[in-house]
Amino acid sequence: MSSPLPAKRTLRHRRQQNARPAGVLLSCALLAMWLSGCATSPALQQSTYQLPAHVELESVPFYPQEKYQCGPAALATVLNHSPESRQDVSGPVRQSPATQSPDVSVDSLTPQLFIPGRKGSVQPEMLATARRHRRIAFSIRPTFDALLGHVAAGDPVVVMQNLSLPAWPMWHYAVVIGYDLPDETLIMRSGEIRRHTLSFGRFDATWARSKRWGFVLAKPGRIPNGVTAKRAVDAISDYETQHGAKAALSSWQALVATQPQNAMGYFALGNAYYRLDEPDKAAQAFRRATAADDTLGVAWLNLGLVYQAQGNNRDARQALEKASALPGSWQQQARTALDAL
Amino acid sequence: MPYLRRYVAMLLIAVLMISSLPVAAAQTAGLVTTQSALQADTASSDRERINDVLARADVQDQLLAQGVSMDQVQDRVAALSDAEAKQMADRLDAMPAGAGGVIGALFAVFVILLVTDILGLTNVFPFTR
Repeated sequence: MSSPLPAKRTLRHRRQQNARPAGVLLSCALLAMWLSGCATSPALQQSTYQLPAHVELESVPFYPQEKYQCGPAALATVLNHSPESRQDVSGPVRQSPATQSPDVSVDSLTPQLFIPGRKGSVQPEMLATARRHRRIAFSIRPTFDALLGHVAAGDPVVVMQNLSLPAWPMWHYAVVIGYDLPDETLIMRSGEIRRHTLSFGRFDATWARSKRWGFVLAKPGRIPNGVTAKRAVDAISDYETQHGAKAALSSWQALVATQPQNAMGYFALGNAYYRLDEPDKAAQAFRRATAADDTLGVAWLNLGLVYQAQGNNRDARQALEKASALPGSWQQQARTALDAL
Repeated sequence: MPYLRRYVAMLLIAVLMISSLPVAAAQTAGLVTTQSALQADTASSDRERINDVLARADVQDQLLAQGVSMDQVQDRVAALSDAEAKQMADRLDAMPAGAGGVIGALFAVFVILLVTDILGLTNVFPFTR
């Protein structure tokens, strides 16, 4: 008769043992909550509330992801969305089939993008693969306002999210195609869901874990609305490295047309012209660069070198003197060129 | 592979040194490219170029080790900008790789993520809204 008692005790003991991990679990969850703060809607700038209240780019195609292939699927989504077929905000879809380029399939993107050992795709290769398909990938400013602004301007935005917590990351690429401001809801093409809706707060919590990384695509010659000066120059410069000055020229022209204060834009335009054997236009662009930013030494330097190549030594000396008077990385080269004149 | 890298490095140093000698005088006539102006680095430009090429060789090795096929790897590395190649050479292993697949999670992790999902901090399970 002594056996039931110890058995009962072990049972209770076991129950206590079970209770302990559960408690640990609960406190872990509470800690996680406390650490990351509750998912509140991100604070938006006043100007964002001036955007249309409801935007959905319905003409953006959908490519459901297969196992681990959200990178290729998200990229195919934006590569096959041509801005010509862009609809007006909440208006009817106006598609012009003539301008549709042949589809880039997910299967053709996978070998260019997927890393089998990592079972996924990394951010630099997302941008690089877009360039291989003759699109310029512009990184967006990492804010919720910028995200909504790009969508409102008609550009679907590829974003990277960590759907899970930092300790057990679950990285995911998706495409933001719309939003509803009063509802604080975002509309996305994501994974296997054609029209995935989620709250601003939940999305921002997952997006913030990738430091709010995202990009928009444009064909050469178009600058997406709302891209910052520096990011635009970087994006077109990377494209130029891969495809050459001729392919990038139209984008540099478009950049200085939309951002006339962008001195680096004029500088880059000048270099592209010079590469294409148009020294007069190059000199003009460099002059505009120095007009936009008088302290851009490298533009004065290149202006002087173009004048020198044209045999215009008087103007060359003037520009090189200006360049060698400006402190910076190009001062030494400017002095050498001035001495050689 | 370390032998290959060392070999490539030595070859590169030699090539760059030789190629820089005869054109040193003519170099001033060349304009500063947009790309090097953006990098804003002149003093160490030769060293930078060596590093760039080494970074690309490194990325290529790493991608091959991660199972990317031989006939794809060269095009993929060529498509990267210098900055992107460096980024990947430094930390391809630790880089976030978007997969979107369900993690092979422990039960404890499952429960925590379920709670955070309900709280709206994460978006792991499609059934939580």
